[in-house]
Amino acid sequence: MTLRSCPREAEVKALVERGQWPQACASDLRTHVDSCRSCSELVLVTAAFQRARNHAVGAAKLGSAGLLWWRAQLRRRNAAVERISRPILSAQIFALAVNLVVAAAVAVWQARHGVAWLTWLEQLPHNVSLQFLTSLVPEGLFNFGAGSLMSPLVLIFAASALLLVGGVVAYFASEKQ
Amino acid sequence: MFWESSIPNVLAGDASLEVSPAAAPPMDDEAFAAFYERSARSLWAYLARTSGDPTLAEDIMQESYVRFLCLANPPSYLADGEVACRRYLFRIATNLLRDHWRRPRSASIEEMPENLFACVDEQVASDSQMILGPALAQMRPRDRQLLWLAHAEGYSHHEIAEITGLASASIRLLLFRARRKIAYLLQNQNRGRQA
Repeated sequence: MTLRSCPREAEVKALVERGQWPQACASDLRTHVDSCRSCSELVLVTAAFQRARNHAVGAAKLGSAGLLWWRAQLRRRNAAVERISRPILSAQIFALAVNLVVAAAVAVWQARHGVAWLTWLEQLPHNVSLQFLTSLVPEGLFNFGAGSLMSPLVLIFAASALLLVGGVVAYFASEKQ
Repeated sequence: MFWESSIPNVLAGDASLEVSPAAAPPMDDEAFAAFYERSARSLWAYLARTSGDPTLAEDIMQESYVRFLCLANPPSYLADGEVACRRYLFRIATNLLRDHWRRPRSASIEEMPENLFACVDEQVASDSQMILGPALAQMRPRDRQLLWLAHAEGYSHHEIAEITGLASASIRLLLFRARRKIAYLLQNQNRGRQA
């Protein structure tokens, strides 16, 4: 297919778009269009599209501009909130990761050096300022002997409780957001 | 105390977003209402005729305006003028329509049969019957878009390239072929009526 356009196409198109074809155009242009395939196609197609456009524009049922404005505001607001939330979520993930790393490091350190620091807990009941704690815990809880199974159990329970409480706090914080 | 209250104006809507020039809307609500009144009908006509589905046209038109207002770098209504805003709006609508056509099928839009997008609305179908519909329904979706933008909206090749995202140099050839094809179809239609 050869791509040949007529130099008078722009003139013809402008007339058709302004609705001046064929009444308000020179007779020589009409004669030219009759003999020029490109221009006659242009007139046929442009006139058909202009009629279709006028008809469709008249048939359009428009919604409220205010509603669209409100929807756009809502979307932009949500996008802004999301932008703000993203670093907070990243910070939460970072904090959780740090906690896990610290917990793992402590666990490894404890495994290597034993639970020597727990001897401090054995002396806890002798501390005058914390005397009242002894009345709260069952007798013998802090008596970690060499063969006692209580020390790892206490550690596990304490870590589990911390994780549980931390998880619940994180959940409620996310819910509030 | 929630974190929202510690960060000022996050949820204040307009006030907070006007602070950031990137997020500022292209126009105020009154200017938008006027712009909408002047541009919505032609946008709907474009979408309805090229998609053949008035309901889809309505949905895409609304989404186009919302996206236009949410643009990170919108054309300025005052600086660039209404013509630029209108062109941008047509560009958004064209992309949304193309996305819609691509979504349900994995095949390229060019490979889809033309009659897949035939008119479904009764009123539009009857109107199209009289004017342009049958011929337009036989064209490829991209050709319909090009023809509508060129002959109904009167956009130049450069503007059509901006709207459709096609290369400016290829618009002329694509439009030439599409026009020749639809002219042939319209002529056949006219001959059929006369006979």
